[in-house]
Amino acid sequence: MSSKGSEASHGVDTAQVARPRDLREARDVMVDAARAGHRVLLRGSGTAQTWGAPVREVDLVVDTTGLDQIIAYNPADMTVAVGAGIRLQDLQSKLDRQRVSLDAARVAEGATVGGLLATADGGPIRATYGTLRDLVIGVIVILADGTVARSGGHVIKNVAGYDLAKLFSGSLGAFGLVAEVVLRVHPLPETSGTLAIPCDAPTAFRLASELLASPLEPVAIEWHAGRLLARFEGTQLGVANRLGKAQDLVQASPGFASASVERLTENDESAAWDAVAADVRGTEGDTVLRAGTRPREFPALVTRLDELSRQHDVDVRVVSSLGIGVHTVRIHGGQADQHAAVVDTWRSGVVQGGGSVTMHRRIAGLDDLIPSWGPAPQALSVLRSLKDGFDPDGRLAPGRFAPWW
Amino acid sequence: MTTIERLAERLRDILGPRGVIDNPQDLRTYECDGLTGYRVTPALVVLPTSTHEVAEVVKACRDSKVPYVARGAGTGLSGGALPVEDGVVISLQRMRAILDVDPVDRQATVEPGVTNLAISRAAAPYNLYYAPDPSSQQVCTIGGNVAENSGGAHCLKYGFTTHHVLAVEVVLPDGTQATLGGYSPEVAGPDLRGLVIGSEGTLGIVTRVVVRLLRKPETVRTLLADFPSIEAAGNTVTDIIAAGIVPAAMEIMDRLAIEASEAAVGAGYTIGTPAALVVELDGPEDECAQLFDAVQELCRANSTTKIRVAADDTERAMIWTGRKAAFAAVGRISPNYFVQDGVVPRTRLAEALSRIGAMGAEAKLRVANVFHAGDGNLHPLVLYDESRGEHERAEELSKKIAELCVELGGSLSGEHGIGTDKACSMPVMFGEDDLATMDRLRRGFDPDGLCNPGKVLPTPRLCGEKPGPYRPHPLEAAGVIERL
Repeated sequence: MSSKGSEASHGVDTAQVARPRDLREARDVMVDAARAGHRVLLRGSGTAQTWGAPVREVDLVVDTTGLDQIIAYNPADMTVAVGAGIRLQDLQSKLDRQRVSLDAARVAEGATVGGLLATADGGPIRATYGTLRDLVIGVIVILADGTVARSGGHVIKNVAGYDLAKLFSGSLGAFGLVAEVVLRVHPLPETSGTLAIPCDAPTAFRLASELLASPLEPVAIEWHAGRLLARFEGTQLGVANRLGKAQDLVQASPGFASASVERLTENDESAAWDAVAADVRGTEGDTVLRAGTRPREFPALVTRLDELSRQHDVDVRVVSSLGIGVHTVRIHGGQADQHAAVVDTWRSGVVQGGGSVTMHRRIAGLDDLIPSWGPAPQALSVLRSLKDGFDPDGRLAPGRFAPWW
Repeated sequence: MTTIERLAERLRDILGPRGVIDNPQDLRTYECDGLTGYRVTPALVVLPTSTHEVAEVVKACRDSKVPYVARGAGTGLSGGALPVEDGVVISLQRMRAILDVDPVDRQATVEPGVTNLAISRAAAPYNLYYAPDPSSQQVCTIGGNVAENSGGAHCLKYGFTTHHVLAVEVVLPDGTQATLGGYSPEVAGPDLRGLVIGSEGTLGIVTRVVVRLLRKPETVRTLLADFPSIEAAGNTVTDIIAAGIVPAAMEIMDRLAIEASEAAVGAGYTIGTPAALVVELDGPEDECAQLFDAVQELCRANSTTKIRVAADDTERAMIWTGRKAAFAAVGRISPNYFVQDGVVPRTRLAEALSRIGAMGAEAKLRVANVFHAGDGNLHPLVLYDESRGEHERAEELSKKIAELCVELGGSLSGEHGIGTDKACSMPVMFGEDDLATMDRLRRGFDPDGLCNPGKVLPTPRLCGEKPGPYRPHPLEAAGVIERL
């Protein structure tokens, strides 16, 4: 399952693979691994195994894709409980006029619900619905020592006890195995439409601010490939009206050449968003970063990337959710040293400004030049203390957060 | 010199004489929060004015091994801010500055003692607001909201505090400061911000909060519909959800709750109707109008006997006054009452209510029902008369109702928290391994167990040796001690 060649984690290819089919088997696998002192890599569909730092040698890969049951679907309660190894796209196809409101680029590649939680991945509608951290209402996890623990439940409103799902959101498999997940679902919108506005980055930010200050409620506002994409969802009538009003607002904006604003529906709309997802995923040989910053830093970040792109002679593309300051940077072409120079310089700037950067993919050889993670967060002592409490021998995903721990 | 006297001296050095309270009369002001049945007088109360001072106080407590409890406005309903005997209360009431309202990034940065409503007021000039709106929003603080992961009537559509807080600056139990989260929801690594939100003040003390602000919706439409039965009102809610409509709020009140509310505020609810349903939609105008018509149609299909549509903001505010007054208003029809806060899967509401009715009849106590119908969050109000010796029976009924919610597949608490009140019921909802794992998490933050101890998780001291469904302590059974 794991890809061969430059992107494969060292030693992962030679490890044994266990594929539990239910919670009991999964627990037994983890208990046996603990007894044997095995180092363990947790894996869903394997679409994000290049995130973070490369995992060092492991003895066992636990493949969660056998945990793919829909355990309970209650449309009237707006909840669904699933095995964490179910592919989100498979789950979506089983829901009745409802959806899990997550459109991460990896969903189309078969990313699992558990993997999407462990990576805290999101797509353009994250601006409205958040990531799985915001949609998960209950989890069952299996800790490094085989302890099966539950938090949350099956109701969409619940504050009883600590919310373990939050610890697992973004944990990249280093805190335990996510075995079952209960999700809140939303009604599938009747329709959607997207306004595509060709412009430069500073104009995009200004127009995005105007749209967000209006009562038009775009579900996503994305910058991609020299265009601002504003997506609207709702009833047929509502979306048509809001697209029209958004177009009027943009065309009335001072100093804006209005001729080329397009309303995208159906196939054209899908194509525009598929292209966004393709750049977010990148391809082999690319380096891809995800960053979070103050939204207002977007124009300066793009300018800086343009400079670095010219200086180091690589192609750099940026996909940004403008309302929430989430940026995915794809570095394409050139050699590892060129990528390293861009990543190192740009990442330092982002982190100095209070932001954060996670590496999603890297060109071969990058790890010899720069660390996968930038400067450690302020709460490193708590993260280490939690890691010690949940995985005292450091057997889960060893190396994933290096050099932090 | 006792440990507390030495600590008081050190705290005066940090905060000055005005920042430390130690006279018994003033300390009593802090002996309970909104759950007044539990009272403990703390040894000291401190009033820091900055993150640095909070950090120094925490370090001093840690060095003296004295437990401490953070406190906002003290409006919590689960005893989460109940002081610890011989411990320190850290009041955040002097940290109430709104540090920044940023209309470009649509964020506000505030100190923990700022009230929930003050944030929306500060954001209003930019057409922005802070979405979570607990009923106590005029007085409750954002720091308390973070501790409890507060919701409010509109959380069905807009979510809870955790969905609206981007970052918290905390003083950790080791006395260090850290910012968890950031100015974007995208943050590398595990979501520590999300762990702290809703942790009931047990993982650290929040000293600064960055919230996201939402654009005010273009329009808001509100109706109040009467129904011949609770079931009919509940079926209407089911039909609204089945139609793919997510209202901003859906609330149901029963006959007794309506009677109480009308006696108190006279908001114009129909006295005698078995059930009243409030539905509020918001959003872009034409879409909202379209869906509002659909909602009225569904009310009629479920035999509504009267629909009152709020004609303007004043009338909408009146409808909400009637709903929000219900809690306090039961004081008009009963000398004492308990507010409960369980959650059931929404589709089991009717079953839950009929069993609550039967349990009330058996206990010979009246129960008024107010609930957030969209998410199954029940607020049964158990009415009793202390002077007639009904207190214990009422408390037992209230506890049984919360545990019934768990039995029906729900939760002990939808928004009030576990605190002191429900810590001993936690084993009804969670197994030993679940609770041990939560404790592992807690110790990751607070290895010495000094940060709001005795809350959230059951302890032998509070609940008896073996965690399990609450049994009276042997001394309590013998009448030597009282649970309160």
